Amino acid sequence: MIVHDGHVLVFLALAALAAYELGAWRLRNRGDRWPPARDAVFALGVAAAIFPGAPGFTGHVVQHVLTGMLAPLLLVLARPMTLLLRASPGARRRLKPVLGSRPVAVLMYPPVAAVLEAGGLWLLYRTGLYAAAGGEPVLHVLVHAHVFLTGLLFTASVCRLDPVRHRVGLGPRAAALVGAAAAHAVLAKTLYLTPPPGTVLAAADRQAGAELMYYGGDVVELGLALVVALTWYAARGRAARRGQPPTWMPGRRAGSFSALRMISRTTGAVSPRPRIR
Amino acid sequence: MPERGDVRRARSAWAGVLAGVGVAAFVDETVFHQLLHWHHFYDRSTTDAGLVSDGLFHAFGWFALVFGLVLVADLRRGDRLSGRALAGGVLTGAGGFQLYDGTIQHKLLGLHQIRYDVDLTPYDWTWNVVAVLLLAAGVLFLRRAKVT
Repeated sequence: MIVHDGHVLVFLALAALAAYELGAWRLRNRGDRWPPARDAVFALGVAAAIFPGAPGFTGHVVQHVLTGMLAPLLLVLARPMTLLLRASPGARRRLKPVLGSRPVAVLMYPPVAAVLEAGGLWLLYRTGLYAAAGGEPVLHVLVHAHVFLTGLLFTASVCRLDPVRHRVGLGPRAAALVGAAAAHAVLAKTLYLTPPPGTVLAAADRQAGAELMYYGGDVVELGLALVVALTWYAARGRAARRGQPPTWMPGRRAGSFSALRMISRTTGAVSPRPRIR
Repeated sequence: MPERGDVRRARSAWAGVLAGVGVAAFVDETVFHQLLHWHHFYDRSTTDAGLVSDGLFHAFGWFALVFGLVLVADLRRGDRLSGRALAGGVLTGAGGFQLYDGTIQHKLLGLHQIRYDVDLTPYDWTWNVVAVLLLAAGVLFLRRAKVT
Protein backbone atom coordinates (compact mmCIF):
# COMPACT_ATOMS: atom_id res chain seq x y z
CA MET A 1 0.00 0.00 0.00
CA ILE A 2 1.37 3.39 -1.00
CA VAL A 3 1.46 6.23 1.56
CA HIS A 4 -0.81 8.31 -0.65
CA ASP A 5 -3.61 5.70 -0.47
CA GLY A 6 -3.27 5.66 3.29
CA HIS A 7 -4.10 9.36 3.47
CA VAL A 8 -7.16 8.93 1.27
CA LEU A 9 -8.36 6.02 3.41
CA VAL A 10 -7.94 7.95 6.66
CA PHE A 11 -9.85 10.87 5.14
CA LEU A 12 -12.69 8.56 4.01
CA ALA A 13 -12.79 6.91 7.42
CA LEU A 14 -13.03 10.24 9.25
CA ALA A 15 -15.76 11.39 6.86
CA ALA A 16 -17.75 8.19 7.50
CA LEU A 17 -17.37 8.59 11.27
CA ALA A 18 -18.41 12.24 11.13
CA ALA A 19 -21.48 11.42 9.03
CA TYR A 20 -22.49 8.61 11.41
CA GLU A 21 -22.08 10.80 14.49
CA LEU A 22 -24.02 13.62 12.85
CA GLY A 23 -26.90 11.24 12.15
CA ALA A 24 -26.80 9.75 15.64
CA TRP A 25 -26.71 13.26 17.17
CA ARG A 26 -29.77 14.27 15.13
CA LEU A 27 -31.73 11.25 16.33
CA ARG A 28 -30.79 11.71 19.98
CA ASN A 29 -31.41 15.43 19.77
CA ARG A 30 -35.04 14.83 18.82
CA GLY A 31 -35.45 12.23 21.56
CA ASP A 32 -35.04 8.95 19.57
CA ARG A 33 -33.18 6.05 21.10
CA TRP A 34 -29.88 5.14 19.41
CA PRO A 35 -27.75 2.85 21.64
CA PRO A 36 -24.19 4.12 22.21
CA ALA A 37 -22.92 0.56 21.56
CA ARG A 38 -23.70 1.13 17.88
CA ASP A 39 -21.46 4.19 17.73
CA ALA A 40 -18.69 2.11 19.30
CA VAL A 41 -19.01 -0.84 16.88
CA PHE A 42 -19.16 1.56 13.94
CA ALA A 43 -15.90 3.23 15.01
CA LEU A 44 -14.26 -0.18 15.51
CA GLY A 45 -15.55 -1.31 12.12
CA VAL A 46 -14.13 1.74 10.37
CA ALA A 47 -10.79 1.21 12.11
CA ALA A 48 -10.74 -2.46 11.04
CA ALA A 49 -11.65 -1.51 7.46
CA ILE A 50 -8.64 0.78 7.03
CA PHE A 51 -6.18 -1.35 8.99
CA PRO A 52 -2.88 -1.13 7.09
CA GLY A 53 -1.31 -4.23 5.57
CA ALA A 54 1.89 -5.66 7.03
CA PRO A 55 4.73 -7.22 5.06
CA GLY A 56 4.55 -10.89 4.13
CA PHE A 57 1.63 -13.18 3.39
CA THR A 58 0.64 -13.41 7.06
CA GLY A 59 0.44 -9.63 7.25
CA HIS A 60 -1.72 -9.66 4.14
CA VAL A 61 -4.07 -12.22 5.70
CA VAL A 62 -4.40 -10.14 8.88
CA GLN A 63 -5.57 -7.28 6.68
CA HIS A 64 -7.82 -9.61 4.67
CA VAL A 65 -9.59 -10.92 7.79
CA LEU A 66 -9.97 -7.42 9.28
CA THR A 67 -11.05 -5.59 6.11
CA GLY A 68 -13.07 -8.26 4.36
CA MET A 69 -14.69 -10.04 7.31
CA LEU A 70 -14.51 -8.34 10.71
CA ALA A 71 -15.07 -4.77 9.49
CA PRO A 72 -18.24 -5.70 7.56
CA LEU A 73 -19.67 -7.49 10.61
CA LEU A 74 -19.00 -4.53 12.92
CA LEU A 75 -20.32 -2.01 10.38
CA VAL A 76 -23.50 -4.03 9.78
CA LEU A 77 -24.10 -4.28 13.55
CA ALA A 78 -23.99 -0.47 13.68
CA ARG A 79 -26.96 -0.33 11.22
CA PRO A 80 -25.72 2.62 9.19
CA MET A 81 -28.55 2.39 6.63
CA THR A 82 -31.21 2.53 9.33
CA LEU A 83 -29.49 5.58 10.76
CA LEU A 84 -29.28 7.29 7.38
CA LEU A 85 -32.93 6.66 6.57
CA ARG A 86 -34.10 7.88 9.94
CA ALA A 87 -31.81 10.90 10.17
CA SER A 88 -32.22 12.31 6.69
CA PRO A 89 -35.67 12.64 5.04
CA GLY A 90 -34.02 13.59 1.76
CA ALA A 91 -31.91 10.43 1.67
CA ARG A 92 -34.96 8.41 2.66
CA ARG A 93 -36.97 9.76 -0.25
CA ARG A 94 -34.22 9.03 -2.73
CA LEU A 95 -33.04 5.67 -1.32
CA LYS A 96 -36.35 3.94 -0.70
CA PRO A 97 -37.04 3.11 -4.37
CA VAL A 98 -33.44 1.94 -4.77
CA LEU A 99 -33.61 -0.34 -1.72
CA GLY A 100 -36.87 -1.82 -2.97
CA SER A 101 -35.62 -2.37 -6.53
CA ARG A 102 -35.13 -5.73 -8.14
CA PRO A 103 -31.33 -5.53 -8.64
CA VAL A 104 -30.85 -4.77 -4.96
CA ALA A 105 -33.17 -7.63 -4.06
CA VAL A 106 -31.10 -10.01 -6.20
CA LEU A 107 -27.77 -8.79 -4.83
CA MET A 108 -29.11 -8.97 -1.29
CA TYR A 109 -30.31 -12.56 -1.70
CA PRO A 110 -27.83 -14.35 0.63
CA PRO A 111 -26.76 -17.19 -1.72
CA VAL A 112 -26.03 -14.66 -4.51
CA ALA A 113 -24.02 -12.45 -2.16
CA ALA A 114 -22.18 -15.53 -0.85
CA VAL A 115 -21.14 -16.58 -4.37
CA LEU A 116 -19.91 -13.05 -5.13
CA GLU A 117 -17.92 -12.93 -1.89
CA ALA A 118 -16.43 -16.42 -1.83
CA GLY A 119 -16.05 -16.54 -5.62
CA GLY A 120 -14.09 -13.29 -5.55
CA LEU A 121 -11.71 -14.72 -2.96
CA TRP A 122 -11.17 -17.92 -4.98
CA LEU A 123 -10.41 -15.82 -8.08
CA LEU A 124 -7.99 -13.68 -6.10
CA TYR A 125 -5.96 -16.51 -4.56
CA ARG A 126 -6.33 -19.27 -7.14
CA THR A 127 -5.64 -17.32 -10.35
CA GLY A 128 -2.79 -14.96 -11.29
CA LEU A 129 -4.76 -12.03 -9.85
CA TYR A 130 -2.95 -12.00 -6.50
CA ALA A 131 0.47 -11.90 -8.18
CA ALA A 132 -0.70 -9.24 -10.66
CA ALA A 133 -2.14 -7.05 -7.88
CA GLY A 134 1.19 -7.20 -6.08
CA GLY A 135 2.91 -5.28 -8.90
CA GLU A 136 0.08 -2.98 -9.97
CA PRO A 137 -0.98 -0.35 -7.39
CA VAL A 138 -4.28 0.54 -9.10
CA LEU A 139 -5.29 -3.12 -9.39
CA HIS A 140 -4.27 -3.61 -5.76
CA VAL A 141 -6.62 -0.85 -4.63
CA LEU A 142 -9.46 -2.24 -6.76
CA VAL A 143 -8.99 -5.76 -5.39
CA HIS A 144 -8.87 -4.44 -1.84
CA ALA A 145 -12.04 -2.41 -2.35
CA HIS A 146 -13.75 -5.43 -3.94
CA VAL A 147 -12.88 -7.68 -0.98
CA PHE A 148 -14.30 -5.08 1.43
CA LEU A 149 -17.47 -4.35 -0.57
CA THR A 150 -18.39 -7.98 -1.29
CA GLY A 151 -17.71 -8.76 2.37
CA LEU A 152 -20.07 -5.95 3.33
CA LEU A 153 -22.74 -7.11 0.85
CA PHE A 154 -22.52 -10.70 2.06
CA THR A 155 -22.65 -9.74 5.75
CA ALA A 156 -25.58 -7.36 5.22
CA SER A 157 -27.50 -9.95 3.20
CA VAL A 158 -27.05 -12.67 5.83
CA CYS A 159 -27.66 -10.46 8.90
CA ARG A 160 -30.48 -8.32 7.46
CA LEU A 161 -30.39 -5.87 10.37
CA ASP A 162 -30.89 -2.80 8.20
CA PRO A 163 -34.28 -2.47 6.52
CA VAL A 164 -34.57 -4.41 3.28
CA ARG A 165 -37.85 -4.73 1.49
CA HIS A 166 -37.59 -8.37 0.56
CA ARG A 167 -37.83 -10.88 3.36
CA VAL A 168 -35.63 -13.95 3.26
CA GLY A 169 -36.23 -16.96 5.49
CA LEU A 170 -33.80 -18.67 7.80
CA GLY A 171 -32.94 -21.40 5.25
CA PRO A 172 -31.21 -19.33 2.56
CA ARG A 173 -29.45 -17.20 5.19
CA ALA A 174 -28.08 -20.24 7.04
CA ALA A 175 -27.15 -22.05 3.81
CA ALA A 176 -25.31 -19.00 2.46
CA LEU A 177 -23.44 -18.56 5.72
CA VAL A 178 -22.37 -22.21 6.00
CA GLY A 179 -21.55 -22.40 2.29
CA ALA A 180 -19.40 -19.27 2.26
CA ALA A 181 -17.65 -20.27 5.48
CA ALA A 182 -16.91 -23.72 4.04
CA ALA A 183 -15.55 -22.21 0.80
CA HIS A 184 -13.36 -19.96 2.93
CA ALA A 185 -12.08 -22.86 5.04
CA VAL A 186 -11.28 -25.00 1.98
CA LEU A 187 -9.51 -22.05 0.31
CA ALA A 188 -7.42 -21.49 3.44
CA LYS A 189 -6.37 -25.16 3.52
CA THR A 190 -5.37 -25.13 -0.16
CA LEU A 191 -3.21 -22.07 0.55
CA TYR A 192 -1.50 -24.06 3.30
CA LEU A 193 -0.24 -26.43 0.60
CA THR A 194 0.22 -24.27 -2.52
CA PRO A 195 0.76 -20.50 -2.82
CA PRO A 196 -1.33 -18.36 -5.17
CA PRO A 197 -0.13 -18.93 -8.77
CA GLY A 198 2.84 -16.81 -9.78
CA THR A 199 4.03 -16.06 -6.24
CA VAL A 200 6.92 -17.41 -4.21
CA LEU A 201 6.25 -17.42 -0.47
CA ALA A 202 8.31 -18.80 2.38
CA ALA A 203 6.59 -22.01 3.55
CA ALA A 204 6.38 -20.90 7.20
CA ASP A 205 4.86 -17.54 6.23
CA ARG A 206 2.36 -19.15 3.87
CA GLN A 207 1.27 -21.78 6.39
CA ALA A 208 0.91 -19.29 9.23
CA GLY A 209 -1.15 -17.10 6.91
CA ALA A 210 -3.37 -20.01 5.86
CA GLU A 211 -4.04 -21.04 9.47
CA LEU A 212 -4.81 -17.45 10.39
CA MET A 213 -7.25 -17.24 7.48
CA TYR A 214 -8.95 -20.46 8.59
CA TYR A 215 -9.33 -19.58 12.27
CA GLY A 216 -9.85 -15.84 11.73
CA GLY A 217 -12.71 -16.80 9.44
CA ASP A 218 -14.14 -18.97 12.24
CA VAL A 219 -14.30 -16.08 14.69
CA VAL A 220 -16.23 -13.93 12.23
CA GLU A 221 -18.46 -16.84 11.19
CA LEU A 222 -19.32 -17.41 14.85
CA GLY A 223 -20.36 -13.75 15.10
CA LEU A 224 -22.51 -14.05 11.97
CA ALA A 225 -24.12 -17.26 13.27
CA LEU A 226 -24.97 -15.46 16.53
CA VAL A 227 -26.64 -12.63 14.64
CA VAL A 228 -28.66 -15.03 12.44
CA ALA A 229 -29.70 -17.19 15.41
CA LEU A 230 -30.59 -14.28 17.71
CA THR A 231 -32.62 -12.43 15.07
CA TRP A 232 -34.52 -15.69 14.49
CA TYR A 233 -35.08 -16.00 18.26
CA ALA A 234 -36.36 -12.43 18.45
CA ALA A 235 -38.65 -12.85 15.44
CA ARG A 236 -40.12 -16.03 16.98
CA GLY A 237 -40.73 -14.13 20.21
CA ARG A 238 -42.52 -11.32 18.38
CA ALA A 239 -44.63 -13.78 16.39
CA ALA A 240 -45.59 -15.66 19.56
CA ARG A 241 -46.46 -12.43 21.35
CA ARG A 242 -48.81 -11.51 18.53
CA GLY A 243 -50.59 -14.87 18.54
CA GLN A 244 -50.72 -15.72 22.25
CA PRO A 245 -51.70 -14.11 25.53
CA PRO A 246 -48.48 -12.77 27.07
CA THR A 247 -48.49 -15.08 30.12
CA TRP A 248 -45.89 -17.58 28.91
CA MET A 249 -43.54 -15.12 27.32
CA PRO A 250 -39.87 -14.54 28.27
CA GLY A 251 -40.49 -12.56 31.48
CA ARG A 252 -41.59 -15.70 33.28
CA ARG A 253 -38.20 -17.33 33.09
CA ALA A 254 -36.13 -14.22 32.73
CA GLY A 255 -33.30 -15.50 34.90
CA SER A 256 -32.28 -18.38 32.70
CA PHE A 257 -31.85 -16.29 29.58
CA SER A 258 -30.61 -12.99 30.92
CA ALA A 259 -27.14 -13.67 29.53
CA LEU A 260 -28.55 -14.40 26.09
CA ARG A 261 -30.63 -11.25 26.24
CA MET A 262 -27.64 -9.23 27.35
CA ILE A 263 -25.67 -10.34 24.28
CA SER A 264 -28.61 -9.55 22.03
CA ARG A 265 -28.94 -6.12 23.54
CA THR A 266 -25.27 -5.32 22.95
CA THR A 267 -25.39 -6.49 19.35
CA GLY A 268 -28.78 -4.89 18.91
CA ALA A 269 -29.91 -8.09 17.26
CA VAL A 270 -33.09 -8.40 19.24
CA SER A 271 -34.35 -4.85 19.40
CA PRO A 272 -37.37 -4.50 17.15
CA ARG A 273 -36.80 -3.42 13.59
CA PRO A 274 -37.25 0.35 13.41
CA ARG A 275 -40.20 1.36 11.30
CA ILE A 276 -39.37 3.47 8.29
CA ARG A 277 -42.18 5.67 7.12
CA MET B 1 -49.74 -22.34 17.64
CA PRO B 2 -49.41 -25.07 20.28
CA GLU B 3 -50.82 -24.58 23.75
CA ARG B 4 -48.57 -23.69 26.65
CA GLY B 5 -46.64 -26.68 27.88
CA ASP B 6 -47.28 -28.60 24.70
CA VAL B 7 -43.95 -30.44 24.58
CA ARG B 8 -42.29 -30.58 21.18
CA ARG B 9 -40.27 -33.81 21.32
CA ALA B 10 -39.08 -33.94 17.70
CA ARG B 11 -38.00 -30.31 17.73
CA SER B 12 -36.21 -30.84 21.07
CA ALA B 13 -34.38 -33.81 19.58
CA TRP B 14 -33.35 -31.84 16.49
CA ALA B 15 -32.10 -28.98 18.66
CA GLY B 16 -30.02 -31.60 20.48
CA VAL B 17 -28.66 -33.11 17.27
CA LEU B 18 -27.50 -29.68 16.08
CA ALA B 19 -25.93 -28.83 19.42
CA GLY B 20 -24.37 -32.33 19.59
CA VAL B 21 -22.71 -32.03 16.17
CA GLY B 22 -21.52 -28.57 17.20
CA VAL B 23 -20.10 -29.78 20.50
CA ALA B 24 -18.31 -32.72 18.86
CA ALA B 25 -16.80 -30.45 16.20
CA PHE B 26 -15.80 -27.97 18.89
CA VAL B 27 -14.14 -30.64 21.07
CA ASP B 28 -12.34 -32.01 18.00
CA GLU B 29 -10.99 -28.56 17.19
CA THR B 30 -10.02 -27.40 20.70
CA VAL B 31 -8.84 -30.62 22.32
CA PHE B 32 -7.29 -32.58 19.45
CA HIS B 33 -6.04 -29.74 17.25
CA GLN B 34 -5.21 -26.93 19.66
CA LEU B 35 -4.51 -28.48 23.08
CA LEU B 36 -3.03 -31.90 22.35
CA HIS B 37 -1.72 -31.05 18.85
CA TRP B 38 -2.48 -34.64 17.82
CA HIS B 39 -4.48 -33.73 14.71
CA HIS B 40 -2.62 -31.89 11.98
CA PHE B 41 -4.01 -28.83 10.20
CA TYR B 42 -3.17 -30.42 6.86
CA ASP B 43 -2.12 -33.89 5.83
CA ARG B 44 -0.64 -34.50 2.38
CA SER B 45 -2.75 -37.61 1.93
CA THR B 46 -5.97 -35.55 2.11
CA THR B 47 -8.19 -35.95 -0.95
CA ASP B 48 -10.11 -33.04 -2.49
CA ALA B 49 -13.34 -34.58 -1.25
CA GLY B 50 -11.77 -34.71 2.21
CA LEU B 51 -11.00 -30.99 2.06
CA VAL B 52 -14.55 -30.13 1.03
CA SER B 53 -16.04 -32.42 3.67
CA ASP B 54 -13.80 -30.89 6.33
CA GLY B 55 -14.67 -27.36 5.23
CA LEU B 56 -18.40 -28.05 5.23
CA PHE B 57 -18.48 -29.77 8.60
CA HIS B 58 -16.16 -27.20 10.12
CA ALA B 59 -18.44 -24.37 8.98
CA PHE B 60 -21.62 -26.27 9.82
CA GLY B 61 -20.29 -27.15 13.29
CA TRP B 62 -20.14 -23.53 14.43
CA PHE B 63 -23.55 -22.70 13.05
CA ALA B 64 -25.08 -25.89 14.48
CA LEU B 65 -23.70 -25.17 17.96
CA VAL B 66 -25.08 -21.63 18.04
CA PHE B 67 -28.39 -22.42 16.41
CA GLY B 68 -28.96 -25.59 18.46
CA LEU B 69 -28.56 -23.60 21.69
CA VAL B 70 -30.88 -20.83 20.53
CA LEU B 71 -33.43 -23.46 19.50
CA VAL B 72 -33.23 -24.89 23.05
CA ALA B 73 -33.76 -21.39 24.46
CA ASP B 74 -36.77 -20.92 22.20
CA LEU B 75 -38.31 -24.24 23.29
CA ARG B 76 -37.67 -23.48 26.95
CA ARG B 77 -39.35 -20.10 26.98
CA GLY B 78 -42.49 -21.78 25.73
CA ASP B 79 -42.22 -24.68 28.22
CA ARG B 80 -42.05 -27.03 25.26
CA LEU B 81 -38.63 -28.60 25.79
CA SER B 82 -38.35 -32.34 26.35
CA GLY B 83 -35.15 -32.86 28.33
CA ARG B 84 -34.91 -36.53 27.45
CA ALA B 85 -35.35 -35.91 23.74
CA LEU B 86 -32.76 -33.13 23.97
CA ALA B 87 -30.25 -35.41 25.69
CA GLY B 88 -30.92 -38.10 23.11
CA GLY B 89 -30.39 -35.61 20.31
CA VAL B 90 -27.12 -34.28 21.76
CA LEU B 91 -25.69 -37.81 22.17
CA THR B 92 -26.88 -38.90 18.72
CA GLY B 93 -25.48 -35.78 17.07
CA ALA B 94 -22.12 -35.99 18.83
CA GLY B 95 -21.79 -39.75 18.27
CA GLY B 96 -22.88 -39.50 14.64
CA PHE B 97 -20.37 -36.77 13.88
CA GLN B 98 -17.57 -38.56 15.71
CA LEU B 99 -18.29 -41.79 13.82
CA TYR B 100 -18.36 -39.92 10.48
CA ASP B 101 -15.12 -38.16 11.40
CA GLY B 102 -13.43 -41.38 12.53
CA THR B 103 -14.46 -43.55 9.59
CA ILE B 104 -15.29 -41.52 6.45
CA GLN B 105 -13.12 -38.44 7.04
CA HIS B 106 -10.03 -39.91 8.68
CA LYS B 107 -9.95 -43.26 6.90
CA LEU B 108 -11.78 -43.01 3.58
CA LEU B 109 -11.04 -39.41 2.63
CA GLY B 110 -7.54 -39.38 4.10
CA LEU B 111 -8.10 -36.26 6.17
CA HIS B 112 -5.52 -35.96 8.97
CA GLN B 113 -5.16 -38.95 11.29
CA ILE B 114 -5.93 -38.98 15.02
CA ARG B 115 -2.26 -38.97 16.00
CA TYR B 116 1.10 -39.19 14.24
CA ASP B 117 4.22 -41.34 14.77
CA VAL B 118 2.32 -43.96 16.79
CA ASP B 119 0.49 -47.19 16.04
CA LEU B 120 -2.92 -45.87 14.99
CA THR B 121 -4.94 -49.05 15.64
CA PRO B 122 -5.80 -48.48 19.33
CA TYR B 123 -6.57 -44.81 18.64
CA ASP B 124 -8.88 -45.58 15.75
CA TRP B 125 -10.69 -48.28 17.71
CA THR B 126 -11.12 -46.12 20.82
CA TRP B 127 -12.32 -43.21 18.71
CA ASN B 128 -14.95 -45.19 16.85
CA VAL B 129 -16.07 -47.35 19.78
CA VAL B 130 -16.67 -44.17 21.80
CA ALA B 131 -18.63 -42.84 18.83
CA VAL B 132 -20.81 -45.95 18.63
CA LEU B 133 -21.42 -45.87 22.39
CA LEU B 134 -22.51 -42.23 22.23
CA LEU B 135 -24.74 -43.01 19.28
CA ALA B 136 -26.29 -46.04 21.02
CA ALA B 137 -26.94 -44.06 24.21
CA GLY B 138 -28.51 -41.30 22.12
CA VAL B 139 -30.84 -43.69 20.31
CA LEU B 140 -31.81 -45.23 23.68
CA PHE B 141 -32.71 -41.81 25.08
CA LEU B 142 -34.65 -40.93 21.95
CA ARG B 143 -36.66 -44.14 22.18
CA ARG B 144 -37.40 -43.56 25.86
CA ALA B 145 -38.47 -40.01 25.04
CA LYS B 146 -40.80 -41.59 22.44
CA VAL B 147 -39.65 -39.27 19.70
CA THR B 148 -40.24 -41.87 17.01
